[in-house]
Amino acid sequence: MNCPEVDRVIDAYIDGELGAAEAVEARVHLDSCPACRERVAARASLSQLIRRVPYRSAPDRFRVAVANTRRPARFSPQLLAWAAMITVAVSLGSGAVIRTIRARQTTAATETMAQDVVAGHVRALMGAHLFDVRSTDQHTVKPWFLGKLDFSPPVNDLVPLGFPLVGGRLDYLAGRPVAALVYQRRQHTINVFVWPASDSGEAPTDTRTLRGFQVRHWTHDHMAFWAVSDLNDIELDQFVHALTP
Amino acid sequence: MPHREFEEVVLPHLDAAFNYARWLTKSDADAEDVVQDAAVRALRFFSSLRNDDARAWLLTIVRNTWYARFSKPGRADQHAVFDDMKDERPDEQLDPEALVIQQQAVERVQLAIGELPVDFREVIVLRELEGLSYKEIAGVIGAPIGTVMSRLARAREQLLAVLTPAPTSGGAGELS
Repeated sequence: MNCPEVDRVIDAYIDGELGAAEAVEARVHLDSCPACRERVAARASLSQLIRRVPYRSAPDRFRVAVANTRRPARFSPQLLAWAAMITVAVSLGSGAVIRTIRARQTTAATETMAQDVVAGHVRALMGAHLFDVRSTDQHTVKPWFLGKLDFSPPVNDLVPLGFPLVGGRLDYLAGRPVAALVYQRRQHTINVFVWPASDSGEAPTDTRTLRGFQVRHWTHDHMAFWAVSDLNDIELDQFVHALTP
Repeated sequence: MPHREFEEVVLPHLDAAFNYARWLTKSDADAEDVVQDAAVRALRFFSSLRNDDARAWLLTIVRNTWYARFSKPGRADQHAVFDDMKDERPDEQLDPEALVIQQQAVERVQLAIGELPVDFREVIVLRELEGLSYKEIAGVIGAPIGTVMSRLARAREQLLAVLTPAPTSGGAGELS
């Protein structure tokens, strides 16, 4: 290649978009031509500068708005199905059918909730909005929720057990503001969502894996708990046990 | 079920969508409008996404949305105000003086990108800030690869001209 030929492919050359043979030809010319080398260097340093221009990330509240874009259409097919089943149940007048439906409704509601919890976890990690209050001190994190929620979430010090508290934030789940507490295990983040339980029964811990995340749900002391993490199932169970002995 | 997949596939690229829209519109509010609309469209056309790169796919929708909304003459290219932008990534290897000089160069290049015609501006953003390949850029802007190359070349020429001004224009201030 000569100077004009190199000049024609100079952008493709620095962008690594030139075919192997052409790239070799260009390099051979550059080895012997200081002027062309300088032009390549100028473009390369321009690229460096441009890459330092601040990246405009989507604002957090906007991210949440987009995440909620598609919510309305979500329940309609399910609702229709339930309506049909309830019609059948009522016409049969059988208590057993209604009990079955109630049980299934609870299962479906738990499944939906689990998906929302995982979505909340992912959103928090992705949006880099993991904390409203960043502290490893339970006596800082717990009072922070005062006046922001109509309940006081239990905040535990689990450092001795290897699950340090790292902070907390307000989140929105199940149609209400909830407390989100963030614990850590090595590089893994555990989000615990807490809000007052709708019924006071102490249900057994619900264990499931959803989209690669471990999800646990339990009720304790009139509070509903959801824990979600990419931690392995054994350690997350240890965590759940540590949180509600 | 498709909603979940949508959330997993599209939301991770929201920053890229916003950054691109921000550079196209030069306004936070307009960028939000464009990306919000694009998300609705992306949801509608979600089935059209094969196993291709979701980011390039989303950026294409962002661009089409912006084009449909703002491409009327004079509308899209109003004056740039980037005074709220700061570089938050200083290079630790540089001494303070060099840092300041680099910072000034970044600010100049940022302003210069904002003043490029939008056809040039977007190829710079897609190439340098999003790291897209020529082929992907061609897909996003709906133009042949040759066009991508020539726009990129001319955009860089213009930016280099701004960064290395002729001695007569404004360089005298440093001497006094």
